[in-house]
Formats: sequence, C-alpha cells, structure tokens
Amino acid sequence: MTSGGAASPSSTFRNLETRLTVNLDRVSRTANVALVLALGASFLMGHYVSFYFHFLTVSLLLLNAVNFYWRHLQARHTLLANYGFLAQVRYLLESIGPELRQYLFANDSEERPFSRTERAEVYRKAKGIDSSGAFGTQRDLDSSFATLRHSFFPAETSTPSAFEVSFGGQQDCPHPYTARHPVFISAMSYGSLGWKAVRALARGARKAGIPMNTGEGGHPKHHLAEGADLIFQMGTAKFGVRTADGQLDDDLLQALSAHDQVKMVEIKLSQGAKPGKGGLLPKEKISEEIAELRGVPRDRDVVSPAFHPECVDPASTVAFIRRVQEVSGLPVGIKFCLGRDSELQQLVREMRSQDVFPDWITVDGAEGGTGAAPLSFMDGVGLPLFQALPTVQKILAEEGATGRTRILASGKLIDARRQLVAMAMGASATYTARGFMLALGCIQALQCNQNTCPVGITTHDPALQRGLDIEEKSERVARYARALCREQGELLAAMGVRSRPELDLSTVHLPTLDGVGS
Amino acid sequence: MKTLGLWVLRILAAAILLPVGYQKLMGDEMSIMLFDTLGMEPHGRVIIGVVEIIAALLLLSPLAASGALLAVGVMLGAIIAHVTVLGVEVGGDGGRLLVMLSIVFASTTTVLVALRRELPVIGSTLDRQGGEGLP
Repeated sequence: MTSGGAASPSSTFRNLETRLTVNLDRVSRTANVALVLALGASFLMGHYVSFYFHFLTVSLLLLNAVNFYWRHLQARHTLLANYGFLAQVRYLLESIGPELRQYLFANDSEERPFSRTERAEVYRKAKGIDSSGAFGTQRDLDSSFATLRHSFFPAETSTPSAFEVSFGGQQDCPHPYTARHPVFISAMSYGSLGWKAVRALARGARKAGIPMNTGEGGHPKHHLAEGADLIFQMGTAKFGVRTADGQLDDDLLQALSAHDQVKMVEIKLSQGAKPGKGGLLPKEKISEEIAELRGVPRDRDVVSPAFHPECVDPASTVAFIRRVQEVSGLPVGIKFCLGRDSELQQLVREMRSQDVFPDWITVDGAEGGTGAAPLSFMDGVGLPLFQALPTVQKILAEEGATGRTRILASGKLIDARRQLVAMAMGASATYTARGFMLALGCIQALQCNQNTCPVGITTHDPALQRGLDIEEKSERVARYARALCREQGELLAAMGVRSRPELDLSTVHLPTLDGVGS
Repeated sequence: MKTLGLWVLRILAAAILLPVGYQKLMGDEMSIMLFDTLGMEPHGRVIIGVVEIIAALLLLSPLAASGALLAVGVMLGAIIAHVTVLGVEVGGDGGRLLVMLSIVFASTTTVLVALRRELPVIGSTLDRQGGEGLP
C-alpha cells in the first residue's frame, strides 16, 4: 500500500499522476472516519426507523472495536496501525497470492522446486499417459542444462540388458542384497508422512520390485506392513534402535535386522535439506504410537543431535560403520551431503587403513528436500548433487577405493535424464523421494511441515488423508517407477550404451566450465 | 487450567442460549411480547432465535471463537434494546432477563477475547505475537 502524490518534474506528469493514482492514505483515513459515522447513523436509524437496523449497528460496533484495536492498541502490524481496516485487504490478497500465482500467473517453467512441466511429467508417468510433446523444447538449453550425448550408432531398444546392482559383495557380508532396478524410494519416515502415504509407497515399491528407504522414523511398522524390500535408515537420534541416552542399542538393531524385509541399513550422517543440523520433534507431535516406534519419552521435545555421538572423527566413524555391519549382518551404507572435500578424503583414507568400507555411500545433494529445515540451511549449506558427485567419485578413485564401495545419488532426481547424469557421475543407482510424492498426488503446496498437506501425504489428519486411496496410489507409484526405468532404457539405447556401468562423464554434456549442470 | 475455565464459560453461555433461542423459535408469550415492543415480530424473533441456537452449538464445537462472536453480537443488540426501548425490568421479571443477558455477554466476551486468534480471516492480526510473514 503506497501513498501517491510524489513530486514529478513536469506539471504534465503531475496531472497524469493525480488522475491515475489513488491516494490510499487519504482513502483509508476517510474510511476510518466513515466507519464511526456509519455506526452513529445506523444507531439512529435503528432507534427511529426500525429496530432491524441494529443488526447493522452491532456489526459496525464490532468492526469499529477491531479497527480501534488495530489502529491504537497493537504494535505488531504497521500497516494496520497506520491505515486501519482497509489495510486488511492487502493481507487478504497476499494470503491468496501463492494460490493465484500457481493457478493463474506462474508460467509452466518458473515454479520451484519443481516447475509445472516437471511435475506434469511425473503425473503422466504415474498415470500411465503418453508424454510426447511437439514444437521443440521449452528449456533453455544453452545455460546450465545438462544433456545426454547420443551415439551415431544407437543400441537395440528391444533387448535392454537386465539391471543388477549388488550390495555387500565387496565386504564379507553374510546377507548381501541385489537390487534389480536403478530407482529407489528415498528416505521418508512415518511421522513426516502419514501412515496412508507410507502404505501406498510401500505397496507400490513391492509391486515395482524396488527397495524403499524407511527414513529415520524409528521402527518401520507401516513400511513393513506391505512386504516391500526396506533400507532401514538410522538417523543421528537413532530412533527405533536407541538406548535411553541416544546411543546405539545393539540388541534392538539386531532384532530389527532379523526382519526378512529389512535388507540394508543406512547410517545418516547428514542430509541435503539441513546438513550439519539435527531435527527437532516437538512433544506435541509425539503421539503414543510415535513414542513407541521411535523409542522416545512423550513428555519432552526430542532433539536429534547434529552428529552421531559415536562418530566424532574419521577413526570413530569408520569403527561405527564396522560395528553396525557386524551387529546387523546386512549391507551398511552411509548417507551425507558433501561439505569439505578434505574431510571426505580423510574419511576414505581411514576406511582404507582400517580396511573397513561402507557397502555404499549415498551422496545427497543440497537440493534434497523432504526434511523440514530452516530456510538458511535449505538454501545456504552443502554442495549441490552435480557438484558433489564428481568430487566423491574422484576422491574414491584417488584413494583406491572405487571397487570397495558404491555410490548412490539423491537430490531432485525425478526424471530419467537427471538420473542418468548422476549415474554418469558414478552413481550405481538413484534415490528419489519427491518424485514418488508427486506420483502419490503431491501438488507442491509446500506445507509438508505444517500437518495441513491438502492431498493427505504429509499429514496425520484423518480428514485430509481420507481422499488418499492406498491401492490406487500404490499403482501410480509402481507405474512411475516402471516408467522411469523404461525411459532410462530408451535414453541409454539412444546413447549407444548397453548397460549403465558404461556411462561416464564422456557420455554427458555439462555446459558450464566447472562441469556442473542442472 | 485456562482451557478448563473457557470450557465452563462456553457451556454456561450455551446452556442459557439454547433454551432461550428455542423459546423464541417456538414463540412463547414473553418473546412475542418483547419483539412486539421492538417492532420485530415475528421475523426478528425467528432470526434471533436461530442465531442464538447456532451460536450455542458453535460454542460447544471447535469453532467456539466464531460462536462467541455471534453471541456477543446478539447480546450487544439485546443491550441496545434494553437501553433504548425496554428498560431494566421487562414484563415484571425484576430484571431477571437483564441478569441472564449480562452473564452471557460477559462469558462470551471472555471466550471471544481468549480465542480471538482462531477467528477466521482476521484471527492472525489480533495476536500480539503477529502472524507469520506479515509486516
């Protein structure tokens, strides 16, 4: 809201301005006085003409009272103090701004984190609709957009080679795991997601035959219920496998690993949404079920530490990885968002000197997004995926650790192109969380941390979950996963590549000088 | 403690408003006489009766703030009626109606002030802590 009447150089302009601008300052002052006068007039009408006018009198009386409070008694809102009730119009318009922009004004490629074009592509895959377009790309290909390099001599699409990546084979793991598809569902806990969404994802994962990460939400009761292969994630608070003081409880981990469905364990060192910061679970959100599944008391907030108490330097971190491998008997990976190259180098050296390697390393890009995080952390900390991946690959190669472990990648990998770029940078398979949320029907309302998710995914409100049909959505999850794998196969064929391990940096085009694209 | 106190006030106000609203709808002698005096018989009587019942039900629901706002509005109207037309004593009741009115007005005003943040649309601006992201 601005007040008009700024001095202009020429009288022509001044005349124009007086004609075109509304002096909102004067309008609002008049309105505030008029509100009081209207109250008086209404009262007189009620008294002399008809008592029915007092319906208006009472409404105006209440409005005057609120207006008086806004103008004279509160100091929080400058606009309401200066202009009174008319300023409320601005708040009203502003409050519906995000919806208006999304429905009417934002163009198809400008919304973040995912544009309408990107989201529509996931929806189409999930619904099994053909996604051909026409008349050329909408993308700005010359700026920072990574593309795949095709071959003069494409491979046959009719005979795609079977995908297979095994974990635990490099170490002496008693229960190695083999994934048959390159797409995994990334970490989403029960707690951040409602139970119906977790069930739909888990059922879809089983149908598509892909593994699913449980997130750091404690004992994965709802994940287990649908029979999908699970990667149990151990966060810094170790929900589900913690002792009273937050250390690892070996017995609980052993019992959990004994579940047939739990195929692997992932130790989360940090995550892309908030690297270097632990989460906070307010006590109001700790239901009886969540307290039980996570193994925490209900009477206080649970603060996840920023790091594992067992892992304070490279030596103790590697020793902890070994401990988890021994206790669980399963392949064990670590997940982090890359910070300093030198620290990773020290960690890998320590792995070599102890001769202990994690069975995989998940590199989470700073663009990772399902965790609630302060804006400064979401925007300002950690390396984006396509910067981090080549670094990790290079350090592993330099330290002679390439064959001893694998790389998984996560961070906005919702389409086949980005997934293949990540694989060209050394990833054996890719994780996505938000891609699968979109497949579940996410409309990017950006309210994941408020329990008000309008499509019932990140909420525990039964009224909002009502519309989420587990069977229908699990079908979409499975279709999306299959479509991604099929599309990868088609792209690989065009690239003349017969199997994914043949991908390397020479098969992708990264436009910017430091080898980074989006 | 605060929640408990508010529940007492909500139930108290609803317990008065419900039968009073019902009487107005059914058209008992006293109500007809009152609204005749105000020149609002019969439509005003039915409208006020309905509003009173809605306010009472809202007071007992999660939308108590809106219920309290409605009730306060009706009570303000009643106060205007007593001040300008009816006087203290109505139909020889010794001021009983005015006492009930004062009880409902006081309790619903307290509820309204306590729960003002839950009011639709304007609730967030009635908080001294301020709404999210507002200047």
